[in-house]
Amino acid sequence: MAKYAFPEVLVSTTWVDEHRNDPGVRLVEADEDVLLYSQGHIAGAVRLDWHTDLQNQTVRDFLDKPHFEKLMNAKGIAHDTSVVFYGDKNNWWACYAFWVFKLFGHEKCFIMDGGRKRWELDNRPLVRDPEPHYSPTEYHAKEPDLSIRAFRDEVHRHQRSGKPLVDVRSPGEYTGQLLHMPDYPQEGALRGGHIPGALNIPWAKAANEDGTFRSAKELEALYLKQHGLKRRSRVVAYCRIGERSSHTWFVLHYLLGFPQVKNYDGSWTEWGNAVGLPIERGEQPAPAETIPEPAVESVGGTA
Amino acid sequence: MSSAANKLDSIIEQFAELEPRERLELLLEFAEGLPPLPPRFQAERDRSDHRVHECQTAVFLWVEVIDRRVQIYAEVAPEAPTVQGFVGILVEAFCGASHDEVLAAPADLLQRLGLVESLGMVRMRGLQAIFTRVRREVAVAAAAE
Repeated sequence: MAKYAFPEVLVSTTWVDEHRNDPGVRLVEADEDVLLYSQGHIAGAVRLDWHTDLQNQTVRDFLDKPHFEKLMNAKGIAHDTSVVFYGDKNNWWACYAFWVFKLFGHEKCFIMDGGRKRWELDNRPLVRDPEPHYSPTEYHAKEPDLSIRAFRDEVHRHQRSGKPLVDVRSPGEYTGQLLHMPDYPQEGALRGGHIPGALNIPWAKAANEDGTFRSAKELEALYLKQHGLKRRSRVVAYCRIGERSSHTWFVLHYLLGFPQVKNYDGSWTEWGNAVGLPIERGEQPAPAETIPEPAVESVGGTA
Repeated sequence: MSSAANKLDSIIEQFAELEPRERLELLLEFAEGLPPLPPRFQAERDRSDHRVHECQTAVFLWVEVIDRRVQIYAEVAPEAPTVQGFVGILVEAFCGASHDEVLAAPADLLQRLGLVESLGMVRMRGLQAIFTRVRREVAVAAAAE
């Protein structure tokens, strides 16, 4: 029976309910919708907004080490705090925040499986209290761990050498069709399409209806069997700005045990605008072994 | 007479006076003040083209122009209070206005409300799509009247 590679990074809503007042545990809510926390959050949780808290506002980059340390101090997170992330949309931004914390070397990071949705389905309480303040800490972050982050030139080399890339956006974004639809809001890229050779595995396929992750067996069927990824290969995942792909990064590394997965946070808003980088349009070619044999009846021509 | 321009200006003014974080609180008030969808629309909700497909969130909009006055009815998925809030602003500003007033509303409304600073550029796309859709439907409904 297939099991997650690192099952300990997932905690259940029940575990969170029992441990949310532990002094060594800090709950962090990270949502797509910024108002959700104000409407109701798990008692004791602090709020992290990917845009206003985790981004550098003057350089397109994440916050730097001093700012990350400042953020940790303000949220009362110490080196040995067990940080449990949860949020809306299948924990999409929770995984993004998890990834940023890993970038700065925070050891004890966990995801509450199912996020807000599972918590609400369990009929567990949410409170509208203002964000709690914890005693400030003196956090010293590590230098960014670039083994989980890919940059443009590196992705280009990766692509040219034929190594696997996973585009986790919707099929419409992947084929390039979406940028050409009338009245569609600007996607933030000059051209629509994908990095040549990338597979298209939309990120949300890794989640169940209730926001929890699919079982190890289902994930293996999707990524290994259906799309032919090999566990030993180095994989780069990307989307539009690196948010949805951090969810896939989490799945491939922590749940399926791929040793080397990088998130390309420049993603399509960089690649689709960059001078000199190739793109590809249209659907993903079917893997060679699944291309159907020509039907016998059609053997008349020489096509 | 309270024109749409006045109502919208006063909403813009309220937002502009606030700090980015406080704007979110005001937006939440608009989200929670969005009137529920009247029952007469609910039956046709799922089998109609009233969904704003450009927006990732489930947003359903009905725009009517009767005697040159605009009415907007909407339903927004409860897990998207930001979108609810913006739709709430449009409903508050435009209901009862003339179609000319709606069409004359500033195209850079989101910037004027200061929401770009509070929410970030990436979250603007869906909201801008809703605004575009409302204006387009008002133009179509006005032409049909």
